[in-house]
Amino acid sequence: MDIRLIDYQSTTAAGINIDALAKSIDSQQSGLRKNDLFGCDIDTWIGRVAAVDEIDLGEWQSRNNALAALGLKQGSITENLARLKDKYSPARVGIVIGSSTASIDRSEEGYRNLDENGHLAPRFQQPLVHNPHSPSLFVAHHSGITGPAMTINTACSSSAKVFATGARWLAQGIVDAVLVGGVDTLCLSVMYGFNSLQLISDTACRPFDQSRNGINLGEAAGYAILMRAEDAILDTGVVLRGYGESSDAHHMSHPHPEGLGARLAIQQALNMAKLSAQDIDYINLHGTASQANDLIEGKLIGSMFPKSTQVSSTKAWVGHTLGAAGITESLIAVDALRRNRVPGSLNLTTLDEQLDLSIQSDNLAKPLNYVMSNSFGFGGNNCCLVFAKAGDKL
Amino acid sequence: MSDIGFQILGVGAWGPNFQNWPELSAILNGEKLAAHEIKGPKPEVIPANERRRAPLPVRLAVESSWQAVNDAGLDPAELPCVFVSGIGDTQLTDYMCTVLATDNKALSPTKFHNSVHNAAAGYWTISTGCTQAANSVAGFQESVSLAMMEALIQCQAEQRPLLITFYDAPSSEVLCGLLKNDVSFAASIVIAPRGYSETRLDFSARVKQHQLKQAENHWPELDVQKMLQSCYAKNPSAKILSLLKLLASVEPRSSGVIELPLSQQTSLQITVAQSA
Repeated sequence: MDIRLIDYQSTTAAGINIDALAKSIDSQQSGLRKNDLFGCDIDTWIGRVAAVDEIDLGEWQSRNNALAALGLKQGSITENLARLKDKYSPARVGIVIGSSTASIDRSEEGYRNLDENGHLAPRFQQPLVHNPHSPSLFVAHHSGITGPAMTINTACSSSAKVFATGARWLAQGIVDAVLVGGVDTLCLSVMYGFNSLQLISDTACRPFDQSRNGINLGEAAGYAILMRAEDAILDTGVVLRGYGESSDAHHMSHPHPEGLGARLAIQQALNMAKLSAQDIDYINLHGTASQANDLIEGKLIGSMFPKSTQVSSTKAWVGHTLGAAGITESLIAVDALRRNRVPGSLNLTTLDEQLDLSIQSDNLAKPLNYVMSNSFGFGGNNCCLVFAKAGDKL
Repeated sequence: MSDIGFQILGVGAWGPNFQNWPELSAILNGEKLAAHEIKGPKPEVIPANERRRAPLPVRLAVESSWQAVNDAGLDPAELPCVFVSGIGDTQLTDYMCTVLATDNKALSPTKFHNSVHNAAAGYWTISTGCTQAANSVAGFQESVSLAMMEALIQCQAEQRPLLITFYDAPSSEVLCGLLKNDVSFAASIVIAPRGYSETRLDFSARVKQHQLKQAENHWPELDVQKMLQSCYAKNPSAKILSLLKLLASVEPRSSGVIELPLSQQTSLQITVAQSA
């Protein structure tokens, strides 16, 4: 099955669209800032998308939906969706969005504004917003797509898994194009939740660094339009070559100590892509900057891949965008593939002394043919994706 | 698209007046069973110390999953799984939003990690040692049809059995005006590609496109007793009863068809026939 990315866009703290993000990466300019999220006094840094504050969607309003709408406005995504709806029919286009927060930001706000009887005030009476499917319901409404729309909520692997699902839908022929995406927003639930797990850093995060001390949370919207190669109306030259999905079977919030599930997902993705580890030119690591993730993931990658494979975490540009991290980082890897530029691991000064990886803070110009993106989530949920340049030999 | 042929190898169920598939099956065939007093199941497969911390939606999902896998006679460690809940864990949403609306916003770390939508998939894979792909999806009122479609496509692509679990617990007080569910319901089915083993019934599924947009999606009428009727109307996951009724039917019949709404212009049509 030859699945093409015909268009893609990303909205993060480091860029309102994919071109702005590429500029931030090229100039090593982070989008992180001291925490200034409304109502949150945790001493940390965050990746906030300020332009979301200006948007009001009325009956569909939530910060998450506002970010979803802002993301859809970028580049040519909306224009290409219109072409596809026209060429096929709105019912032959599907939607698969990954999210961990969905619109819980709006539920939080509703609870802060309960009436004297403890009921939600009228403006918060939004059944289509206060549920875990809200991102896809909103994107369907906003885009006019009337084909199947499903939300994947597997914590931090959510919007990596959308590529696997989208590819299967296309292979089965239930749709002619799929808008896959990921949308997650900063909210008190994740800020105080990760704080309760003592995972939050009081500085800008330093993935894989010896002195790293935790994560920075961020928010993002990312989209890609997938099509079967024979139908593709546009050519970005990028193919989804393989995916792997697995479970750790270990712990709800701690990764397997030897990275068992991560290894299975990576191996599965390589098998599907008919590639071996040495073929992979660049891996965008999950690299949250937590003690556990970076040590376990770093050791695993060091044991599976040769030194010719460059690796980095790009979370010091945008923060950990949770349910949107899978697609955000996949698109960074895809953009790297197209531009033959490996993003560095920003904020890395001294590599964790237990690790041996081809990783550095500087960006690197290098011809790339195959790139990989790792995403691991709570519940031990793992997903690994492999992208290739079209026309490579199988 | 081509039709997807499939089999059902095992079923699990837990609800207001049944605690397993034989009991639900009897109700679907007209027997009257009274409501039981048990608030939620206590699935033995979850280790005792973990079970105490497992929220109700997780216990519903794991109990019915365990029943279905045993009914199918398959090893849960080898089965990929798709879990779906229409409204999620609103008791935990309520807990977090209530705490976060106060000055002291400290959250319980256990409650926070239990609040992820894939908590059920997490507890299930941890309890059974399953390292296979585990999905956790949401489709609000169309949760059953979307998860069914997703699982069928994955089963077809991989040509091996797969577990699907549908579960929803009652809404929290603040959200119940919007998400009107007031009953606990879970059901699980283990599906396999056509020809996997000998079964009494043979199923096929297809996604249909419709010319006109539906203003509101309509689920099939279900002729069952009152308590189950109310569950079917209010609990997003109980929409699977339309398929389970076909499966439970004791009358020899040549075929049956149901059409489940997927989106404004698509539906999932499932046909059942006696195996040849």
